[in-house]
Amino acid sequence: MAQTHDTRPSSDRRPAPGKPAPSAAVRRRGPDLLPYALVAPLAVFIVGLAIVPAIYALTQAFFRVQVLDPPTRFNGVDNFTALADNAALVKSMVNTAAYVGIGVTLSTVIGIAMAMAVQRKFAGRSLVIAAMILPWALPGVVEGIVWLGIWDANVGLFNSALTTVGLVDQYQVFLGANRWLTILLIEIVQVWQIAPLSALLVLASLQNIPGELYEAAALDGCTAWSRFRRITLPLVRPGVAVAMVQALILTLNIFDQPYVLNGAAETGASLTMQTYFISFQNLDFGQGYALSLVITVATLVASFAVVKLVYRRVEY
Amino acid sequence: MRRLGVAFVLVWSLLPLYWALNISFQTNAQITSRPAHYVPSDPTLNNYRALLVGDGDLPAQIRQSAANIVIECGLATVVTVVLATLAAYAFARMRFRGRTLLLYSVLATMALPAYATLIPLYRLMSEAGLVNTYTAIVLVYVSGFLPVATWIMHNYMEALPVAIEEAAQVDGASRMQVLTRVVLPLAGPGIVSTTIITFLFAWGQFLFPLVLSSDISTQPLTVVITALQGRREVPYGLLSAAGVLAVTVPAVIAMTLNRYIVNGLLAGSVK
Repeated sequence: MAQTHDTRPSSDRRPAPGKPAPSAAVRRRGPDLLPYALVAPLAVFIVGLAIVPAIYALTQAFFRVQVLDPPTRFNGVDNFTALADNAALVKSMVNTAAYVGIGVTLSTVIGIAMAMAVQRKFAGRSLVIAAMILPWALPGVVEGIVWLGIWDANVGLFNSALTTVGLVDQYQVFLGANRWLTILLIEIVQVWQIAPLSALLVLASLQNIPGELYEAAALDGCTAWSRFRRITLPLVRPGVAVAMVQALILTLNIFDQPYVLNGAAETGASLTMQTYFISFQNLDFGQGYALSLVITVATLVASFAVVKLVYRRVEY
Repeated sequence: MRRLGVAFVLVWSLLPLYWALNISFQTNAQITSRPAHYVPSDPTLNNYRALLVGDGDLPAQIRQSAANIVIECGLATVVTVVLATLAAYAFARMRFRGRTLLLYSVLATMALPAYATLIPLYRLMSEAGLVNTYTAIVLVYVSGFLPVATWIMHNYMEALPVAIEEAAQVDGASRMQVLTRVVLPLAGPGIVSTTIITFLFAWGQFLFPLVLSSDISTQPLTVVITALQGRREVPYGLLSAAGVLAVTVPAVIAMTLNRYIVNGLLAGSVK
């Protein structure tokens, strides 16, 4: 941007990276209220509608909270033991683990593939990138409805295509029949939504890799596969780590896709769906708080583990 | 290899949407024929007519929930972007007590899963008598999107050169004048990115409005269409048309303004 250039040398006045710029405030006497006025609304929202509710939920997990059957009283870990004894919930926990495993793997692989497909310039590249991020921008529940048109037992494209090419002789029920197939098909729908962000994150890392590395490798006679294994993969690790963490958080909290594609059925119900059923249908808020706490802790621990395992500083 | 990859991206991203569009232009008899019609043989607008035209229950609900989603997303986006921009300016350009703590709190709330505060926020709104109001939905959306919006704006503003702002201050501009006359025009692309991303996040919400609105007076389109799907007797053509209606706005935004989305998402996540 030309208009931002200053003709005077400004490097001496620029703040060190990571430090805020010096402003008139520093030179003035007395407390400077302007920054507080600017951040006050943000602070009110974050404290009042995120931090305090989160801490409140944390404590309420150890209370018996039933709106229709008061009183509310401390009950130690009873909510957690009740959850552990709930067979449907344990099943949902396994379902969720499957969603996470499939989702993180598929979205990372597809994300890397899509990023590599649009890595270099070609005619129409910006249109392809626009198409690529389109599924990211759409509501999850509506994507469930859209994909129902693919997986449905009566009108689905998948059934029609399979019979047209002769792989099956009649329409099959895919959703709800076999538990693992149901989970796989539902998770593909979520991957459709989250893989674009993975692709963008990987793409940003890819574009930092110096082209000379590939030229040198090509001169040394490396195959395309070994260039991918030895140059691309190690150097995109930071992008892949961030992509995996976002996929992990989103898959661990999956709700929209199984809710639309499979309803409340145990074959596909997720932990977040159970939180909703327990809290807003059984109106047992205490157990709902406890389950939310379990999901939150699992999310934080797993995110930390992924960062530890995958993230490494890259130097070119 | 490249062509194959590009073909995969296009088919994977667009085929499901093409299929919904295709079905939405077919009659029930055409949809249930086997094999399916891969292109609409005799396109009809009947599904869209049934959803939008006339004074039946269904079109009335669709119209009301479409108005609701526009109002809720619009209000939440405006409030979020204004507050995020002000806070980001303070974070990027001023030193004050508690700055680091507040910035870390922003990051911490970003790491929290969205549904961690579902129950407490519902109970808070219920205590305050705000369930089934636009206010509750907008407040919850703003609290949910403000951290990431602030983070994106903060990263944009930090990247702007300081010199021009200092020159304006030397010329006697107050800090608020520097913000409105110098920083805001320069941060324009960042503000556009933040606005689009916030709006798309809000448009995609389902569970929060499901819990916070009890009837059609505040339910957004996403909630009403999903309820439609839950009723087994609703024909699939109608459902597809409803789906197409709900994705039109975000799809047009994503296809035309994708440059801003890409920049904003990258500013918000890789740091």
